[in-house]
Amino acid sequence: MSMHISSSKLACMKPMSCHEQEHPELAAATSNNGFDWLEDSISFLTADVDIASGYGWWSNPAEAQQDDIGSVVAQTLSPPAPLPTTSSPLAHASPSIASPPVSSPSEPSSKKRKSPAHKASNSSVSNQRRRAEQDRPGGGGKKSGSKGGGAGSDRDTRWAEQLLNPCAAAVEAGNLSRAQHLFYVLGELASFSGDANHRLAAHGLHALARRLPAAVGTAAAASVRVPPCECPTPAFAGAEPRLFRASLIKFHEVSPWFALPNALANAAIAQAAARGATDARPLHVVDLGVSHGVQWPTLLESLTRLPGGRAPPSVRLTVGGPAATPPAPFSASPQGYDFSPHLLRYAKSINLQLAISRAASLDSVHGFATPGDALVVCLQFRLGHATADVRTDILSKVRGLNPELVVLSELDAGGDGTAAGEFTARLELLWRFLESTSAAFKGRDGEERRLLEAEAGTSVTGDAAGEGRDAWRERMAAAGFEEAAFGGEAVESAKSLLRKYDGGWEMSASGAAGVVALRWKGQPVSFCSLWRPACSG
Amino acid sequence: MDVTMDDVPGDLDFSGCSSTTTSSSSPSLDDGMGMYAWSGLSPVADWGSFCPDDGGQDLHGLIESMLCDDTLVGAADLHPAMFPDEAYCCSNGSAPGSTTTTNPGTPVNDGDAAQGDGPEKGLRLLHLLMAAAEALSGPHKSRELARVILVRLKQMVSHIGDNAAVSNMERLAAHFTDALQGLLDGSHPVGGAGRQAAAAAAASHRQHTGDVLTAFQMLQDMSPYMKFGHFTANQAILEAVAGDRRVHVVDYDIAEGVQWASLMQAMISRPDSVPPPHLRITAVSRGGGGGARAVQEAGRRLAAFAASIGQPFSFGQCRLDSDERFRPATVRMVKGETLVANCVLNQAAATTTVRRPTGSVASFLAGMATLGAKVVTAVEEDQGEPEKDEEEAGGFVARFMEELHRYSAVWDSLEAGFPTQSRVRGLVERAILAPNIAGAVSRAYRAVDGDGEARAGWGEWMRGNGFRAVPLSCFNHSQARLLLGLFNDGYTMEETSPNKIVLGWKARRLLSASVWAPPPLSVPSSPAEGAFQPVGIAPASGGVGRMEFDYIDSFLVEPAYALV
Repeated sequence: MSMHISSSKLACMKPMSCHEQEHPELAAATSNNGFDWLEDSISFLTADVDIASGYGWWSNPAEAQQDDIGSVVAQTLSPPAPLPTTSSPLAHASPSIASPPVSSPSEPSSKKRKSPAHKASNSSVSNQRRRAEQDRPGGGGKKSGSKGGGAGSDRDTRWAEQLLNPCAAAVEAGNLSRAQHLFYVLGELASFSGDANHRLAAHGLHALARRLPAAVGTAAAASVRVPPCECPTPAFAGAEPRLFRASLIKFHEVSPWFALPNALANAAIAQAAARGATDARPLHVVDLGVSHGVQWPTLLESLTRLPGGRAPPSVRLTVGGPAATPPAPFSASPQGYDFSPHLLRYAKSINLQLAISRAASLDSVHGFATPGDALVVCLQFRLGHATADVRTDILSKVRGLNPELVVLSELDAGGDGTAAGEFTARLELLWRFLESTSAAFKGRDGEERRLLEAEAGTSVTGDAAGEGRDAWRERMAAAGFEEAAFGGEAVESAKSLLRKYDGGWEMSASGAAGVVALRWKGQPVSFCSLWRPACSG
Repeated sequence: MDVTMDDVPGDLDFSGCSSTTTSSSSPSLDDGMGMYAWSGLSPVADWGSFCPDDGGQDLHGLIESMLCDDTLVGAADLHPAMFPDEAYCCSNGSAPGSTTTTNPGTPVNDGDAAQGDGPEKGLRLLHLLMAAAEALSGPHKSRELARVILVRLKQMVSHIGDNAAVSNMERLAAHFTDALQGLLDGSHPVGGAGRQAAAAAAASHRQHTGDVLTAFQMLQDMSPYMKFGHFTANQAILEAVAGDRRVHVVDYDIAEGVQWASLMQAMISRPDSVPPPHLRITAVSRGGGGGARAVQEAGRRLAAFAASIGQPFSFGQCRLDSDERFRPATVRMVKGETLVANCVLNQAAATTTVRRPTGSVASFLAGMATLGAKVVTAVEEDQGEPEKDEEEAGGFVARFMEELHRYSAVWDSLEAGFPTQSRVRGLVERAILAPNIAGAVSRAYRAVDGDGEARAGWGEWMRGNGFRAVPLSCFNHSQARLLLGLFNDGYTMEETSPNKIVLGWKARRLLSASVWAPPPLSVPSSPAEGAFQPVGIAPASGGVGRMEFDYIDSFLVEPAYALV
């Protein structure tokens, strides 16, 4: 039943549903094991028409013009209305989305994949997969050089780090004249609206200026002339709510930075909801993430399409507020932004029973948990700036909830333990963010892009050491979890999703995998992993 | 007695032979000659008295403050408007209209050109210049970073143009920016491209010869830079050749030849009414038609000048090898002449090619020793303190900052002599100082490649190669002091050793003049690098030629030696 419904719905939403043409076998294969929801959810993201149009149903032109943020957000979360079968009205229906079609000359790899030959080809899925995989390193290589050597050759053009890293070293070493020299230079080259290097210089300079007093003492810091380096764009907490929402959606459309981990998480959650029990159980998702609601409509919709009555009779979403974890980049939201009413309305429209609660802290989650629920904790990008102790503490609290599944996504970066080393590692990640975001926006500036970058820029500041995925693995094991694997289809679908983004992106895992890493130009960005309470515990 | 020179049309195909004439009774004096009063100690106004010393604009102090940690403290109260353009947008990446895009070609900051932001903007420029030098050298060299910095620098100084109302520091920074850009583009370093660039530069300079000479004259009048070296060298030469009837000066870098005009004046004005000795100048010229042509023009002017004052004179040139080595065999020697080597390396002259491989100077000094030169006069930029064992990484940056230091002192001294706004000042900077800066930066850069033999100065090199110091006479010392007395108080003179005096601006040493005698010919000297040529000057063909030339009257046509 669900397969039929979703297909027709898909046809309505996405007239050029070439996804089905491309992967008929896949669709058939997955329809039997409860994963068709994933195909669907992915498929409208992968619409060839335009990535933007995949989110077209989020917004409605009439509603989007209203000033009232609540109604706008409500509309974004309303069910997709049947749309005409041409793509242009669809694009027109989303005024907030100005991005051009994905296929542009600047993206040879994605263009190639969408070539008529590929579309028309009726070859087997596996063949296409293989080809796609062969393409991938080359696809990235066309922009960034070969996968292996990309980092090296790429480094020559990354001039901002060549100033920022020595400056950080000078600041940490208390070498004031050296730091002053580099502050001057950075002050001349920094720009929050230039190319990615200029932006990195601006964010990095800002972070160093804030770091300076702590590193050298306030008296010494006062003797250093620091060029003005305040980011003119407020970060998330100070953003205008409408812009905030539009920026989040836009970013999911053009960059997999969060979209891909979210898709993987949703796939795993749905899998957990459908797992095992003969009778469908209520699903309880604890949201400790940074999606601000953007992640959930896709999940909810996919849940309704779980086959054989496995759809959970009810879903509870417990949103961990900003105070539930230490402040982390992308976790704040502006005052006046609340996605709950609209998500509820959307759930109602698809006949899903949804309850949303807010938990100020993890301790209060207990109050919402009901025995017999399938409890999933979704921990995404919230612990990157926490200290090691806080991380341990939060993980042990999560363990105390005894969830069926924990989704852990974090940035994949660790320094060498020194302050300058941590700075370098964070800077590298910010570079990947700025460069990939520049590619995502095709070099165009705009307030949405700048808002995201302003928020990302806050990641350079901070004292806590980042951790690579191996360190996270140890930490999770120590907290009493054991690693679980993603389903092969989930990974494949994620790969399919990733292909719609810039050719510089790639995923490390193939087939079923315990951990999926997201890379930009061959360099690690983030990882997504699944955990269950260890049997012994 | 009139002296003229053949004005060979189309001298560009000299192909190594220059022919110049010193003959009698030609009415066709070079029309350009009269314009330039190559007087010796012409009365010079003390411009410094007109220009109050503006402490706030002291570049030298600015640079020192930048390099000195101590000044960090206490400078913090400078208002933050020094970084006014944080919204500045660099080139690509932003959609028009979507941001506060600034046209990269225009000054980012209107305040830049305004007065009063001099020290702040000066500091910003200095830090950027230093950073660009750092990016061009060291273990982490990054051409991309250098490029980005230079783009920014050019934005900051782009409004200079003909607008004279910009700060001293901006003008200086503009020239150093161009010099660094030259390094980045590879137009200065030796090599094919460098040669072409030099030839092109020489060609363009030819078109502005009038400008260059005007600028040169102005620089002469406004500062002691040129005369300090020329007078000291000339005085040493006069003392060395006193009583000799024939004098032959081989000049490593003749530039416009101004030095010899003053020497001639001194020769004809001997109080004892002794007739002046015959003076023959052999100018060393470099490869490329432009260089030979410029040397030829200098010779022509000198010949005309000599004729106008009755100085017996002849002129020739000899060419450096393709690798810029000096070959003694290319110098035509005449029996009975006292041979003098003159090596002025700070020529503020557009005709000086900026390339000067250190091996070239060494081969000249060594070659002149083998030819039996009686005295060698050297004028060079003072190298300051011997650099401590600097690691390779800091090498270029340190040398670059040294040059920045040096030229900032030059700028300061010019500021005291020239009004900034004067058109002439701009001409002097453009036509004379800019090429010198390009050359200095290029040499500083090339010395990175382990080629530091001359960093201690050529005087030290000569001392190490058996040359003997020739003490300067009292008269020479007095003359230099007298010269400086004509200019601003800021100029200083130091006697660092009996055979050397150093011209400085305030605390900064600028250039030195020293006098040496080569080791006696009987002792075959063979420096390590083998720069000395064998003493046997005459290979088969050359020997014949030499015999022929021995009896040629120097007043007659004097073909230069063909390249062997």
